[in-house]
Amino acid sequence: MSTRTLISPATLARPRGRAIYWTVFAAVVVLFALAFLFPVYWMVTGAMKSPDEVARTPPTLVPHDWHLGGYTDAWDLMQLPQHLGNTLVQAAGAWAFQLVFCTAAAYALSRLRPAFGKVILGGILATLMVPAQAMVVPKYLTVADLPLIHTSLLNDPLGIWLPAVANAFNLYLLKRFFDQLPREVMEAAEIDGAGRLRTLWSVVLPMSRPVLGVVSIFALVAVWQDFLWPLMVFSDTDKQPISVTLVQLSQNIQLTVLIAAMVIASIPMVALFLVFQRHIIAGISAGSTKG
Amino acid sequence: MTKTAERRPIADAAVHPVPAPPPAGGRRRRRLLDQACAYAFLLGGLVCFALFSWYPAIRAVVIAFQKYTPGSKPQWVGTANFTRVLHDPEFGAAWRNTLTFTLLALLVGFAVPFLLALVLNELRHAKAFFRVVVYLPVMIPPVVSALLWKWFYDPGAGLANETLRFLHLPTSNWSNGTDTALISLVIVATWANMGGTVLIYLAALQSIPGELYEAAELDGANLLQRVRHVTVPQTRFVILMLMLLQIIATMQVFTEPFVITGGGPESATVTVLYLIYKYAFLYNDFGGACALSVMLLVLLGAFSALYLRLTRTEGDTA
Amino acid sequence: MRHTGFRRTFVAIGVCSSLALAASACGSGDGDTASGKTRITVNCEPPKSAKVDRRFFDDDTAAFEKQNPDIDVVAHDAFPCQDPKTFGAKLAGGQMEDVFYTYFTDARHVVDINQAADLTPYLKELKSYDTIQKQLRDIYTVDGKVYGIPRTGYSMGLIYNRKLFQKAGLDPDKPPATWEEVRADAKKIAALGDGTVGYADYSAQNQGGWHFTAELYSQGGDVVGADGKAGVDTPEGHAVLQNLHDMRWTDDSMGSKQLLIINDVQQMMGSGKLGMYLSAPDNIPILVKEKGGDYKDLALAPMPGGKGTLIGGDGYMFNKRDTPAQIRAGLKWLDHMFLTPGKGFLGDYARAKKNDAPVGLPEPRLFTGAADAKDQQVKKANANVPVKNYQAFLDGNQQLQMKIEPPDAQQIYSVLDSVVSAVLTKKDADIDQLLKEASAKIDSIPRS
Repeated sequence: MSTRTLISPATLARPRGRAIYWTVFAAVVVLFALAFLFPVYWMVTGAMKSPDEVARTPPTLVPHDWHLGGYTDAWDLMQLPQHLGNTLVQAAGAWAFQLVFCTAAAYALSRLRPAFGKVILGGILATLMVPAQAMVVPKYLTVADLPLIHTSLLNDPLGIWLPAVANAFNLYLLKRFFDQLPREVMEAAEIDGAGRLRTLWSVVLPMSRPVLGVVSIFALVAVWQDFLWPLMVFSDTDKQPISVTLVQLSQNIQLTVLIAAMVIASIPMVALFLVFQRHIIAGISAGSTKG
Repeated sequence: MTKTAERRPIADAAVHPVPAPPPAGGRRRRRLLDQACAYAFLLGGLVCFALFSWYPAIRAVVIAFQKYTPGSKPQWVGTANFTRVLHDPEFGAAWRNTLTFTLLALLVGFAVPFLLALVLNELRHAKAFFRVVVYLPVMIPPVVSALLWKWFYDPGAGLANETLRFLHLPTSNWSNGTDTALISLVIVATWANMGGTVLIYLAALQSIPGELYEAAELDGANLLQRVRHVTVPQTRFVILMLMLLQIIATMQVFTEPFVITGGGPESATVTVLYLIYKYAFLYNDFGGACALSVMLLVLLGAFSALYLRLTRTEGDTA
Repeated sequence: MRHTGFRRTFVAIGVCSSLALAASACGSGDGDTASGKTRITVNCEPPKSAKVDRRFFDDDTAAFEKQNPDIDVVAHDAFPCQDPKTFGAKLAGGQMEDVFYTYFTDARHVVDINQAADLTPYLKELKSYDTIQKQLRDIYTVDGKVYGIPRTGYSMGLIYNRKLFQKAGLDPDKPPATWEEVRADAKKIAALGDGTVGYADYSAQNQGGWHFTAELYSQGGDVVGADGKAGVDTPEGHAVLQNLHDMRWTDDSMGSKQLLIINDVQQMMGSGKLGMYLSAPDNIPILVKEKGGDYKDLALAPMPGGKGTLIGGDGYMFNKRDTPAQIRAGLKWLDHMFLTPGKGFLGDYARAKKNDAPVGLPEPRLFTGAADAKDQQVKKANANVPVKNYQAFLDGNQQLQMKIEPPDAQQIYSVLDSVVSAVLTKKDADIDQLLKEASAKIDSIPRS
């Protein structure tokens, strides 16, 4: 991308322009390091300080002696493996349910022309106008006592998985993508006598890899980062995901141990981001220009 | 019949031979079959939407007019829930805080990312690095961000006051002061969420044709004038969209006040969603909680409708 | 072809949903009679990290099951036993155990929202019921019906650090008896410097309101008067706030960090950085075991002010879905675990002493008459904490009026929280205005 922007290349080529450019560049690098990287550094090293050193004023930039005790204590005392496992199960299940059900529904709405399809799509899009968090109480009452079958999904990963499927944004994303797939390919498959499911499986899905990737990341991140909903669903401490556990235990645990637990809780998502940063950033940037 | 008909059918055609289309009434049967099949695909999604989106929304409105305790029969109470909620001393505070928070978050959350994006767009080096770093806080779980800043704001050994002391500036109470608590939370929310906004602005800035700037420059427009007359009009739509989205998101703020201040000091950081939570799970007053939810719903629904309308019309013209 | 595709999808989705339903249906086990045994779920089992307590609890429960082969007790651990953040959600969502732990202040609320079983017809099963102090029994009695069984009680006092008293030139055997003395002593302790705080108090998560109430009682005031009207905008209420304000801003003896909650203050006390704070005796073992404190430094004085003190405590209530068999089993279990003097989880002082668990802390007495005498005697015989450190508290309590918490306590505390946090975080807080507003707010709380 070498289009011209606000400042013309000619201006930048002049010595004065160049000097200003590098000054601004350096300033931005420093600002970014301080604003975004330093807090992370502070957290990672803070967990390695001794409890006395963390509370010391003025604080130390680099830990005097490095302790790994904070991390090991967090791992054992706060039962992090269990809670990380809970979060993983909840996120993975939500991801799988969303992929299966949302893809099937989006495919139907896009290609199979069900009666009242327009009405259904309207109903689904209308939920975009209903802010999720504001609905948390009636949603809770529903999950506590499902209508007709009168079972409760509380303290059960299903209480996370099934509501996650009702994600109009992801469904709409998938539907729009399917709408843009070339007709000829599908028709060819149809004429070959492939059933609906087979067309979806061996023709549509392989062509939809990019959108499936975006939806997958959204689904995983949403569950991993959520707090209010799992706080309500899991009153049973053994089943809580990591974010709820952190808040529950934050009041009653040594600061260094808590900070270590915070670092450990952040690692999975940050790692996911660093691995897929290109796709994620491209996805965000692309999603903006055309609604 | 074209050649395609002679192709070997895939799938297990041998097991289930395709029945020849019956001569009469077959079309309707096929249409029925097609419909059944379409609905089979829709089923899972539909059930989930019905159970966890549509039904709760209707139920919220119903319970808002009932005295409802799980496990016993609801009674109709008319608008009693609304009057009770309206008379709650925290009601005014919660709305005031939510709106103030939204407004502050809008100012800070629009100005800072926009300026950052403007500057980043001019830089020709380390582009990828900046993008990754600015988005990093978004990937840190919100609960962790909140706890991290709670620790920064600690009036004693917290980093925020230590920095001020280091610079010989007067220290602040940050999240512990009635006047500063809300803005402290806005800083946290902006820090944690601005990555996405910056990236979207960047993408919008990159789609501005360079000729416009050249033309403006030839007309003798200086830097600020170029921003005012080229950049802002060209990105107006994206700015508006993001503002609306941000309003909708920040009106539902919960995690930061819940984790950092617990709604205090002096109810200075109780938000509407926090109050809904309190009604439901501290007072077990589900009628009141749903009445509040309905109010929030109406307001946010209006914003969302506006957003959808704008994107619709823009999508048609673009 | 089309069929197959369609049929497979249908089956796939059908399987998915039926699996889901099956899983959820099986997920919520109900504690009915399985295999001829009455199964009850109970909560407040000590967490795994509290090894000794957990072993006691599990041993006692196992012994109970041995004596009652027809009862199966399933214990759930949680910390804290009653977490206000999830308590309401658990109740409303039908996730509450069959026999569940409550604070005294929850009793009325749980009954009001119709989630408690009426125990009145089954009380003869509970042998010890008549030996419990009537004042405590009444807390769980609503409109003449009994809905819960008290387990322990506490009364508020002043914990202070003898070492810091000595350092500051104060007499550790003469704790402050009035709020003026508290203020003077706090000033001297804070003058030690190095981050030492003289007196600390809570101001968040409703705990500020709770302590405000205790302080008001100590001055002879009342949060809600006999006429049901708020009693905070009174000379006593003003005195409480003025005193806090002066300690925080004039003397700077309360430290700069506010919006504290109980755990923050315990941390300060345990690390030897705090002179005094208000608390029940049950904080002492926590300070020693979890926060690094030392028994010999920690002493307990009666509530300053000399008028009254706040009492609270906990007990078990029964889920309204319980079957009669479950209620009977639960009551038997309570008898065995908590209500037999000299035995059980709380009363087996000899076992506690053997395992270095603290014995001899000054709790208010749960029992009366012969049961009380026996309990006291076993306790005395096994005391392993410096009892003399708490003598002042025991003596002083004789003169104080014991007052339970107000109705709708949590909502009132939430109002008072903002008052206390305002005074502790704003130098120019307008006390008159704050109390006037708080009073109006308390009067507007819908009485359940």
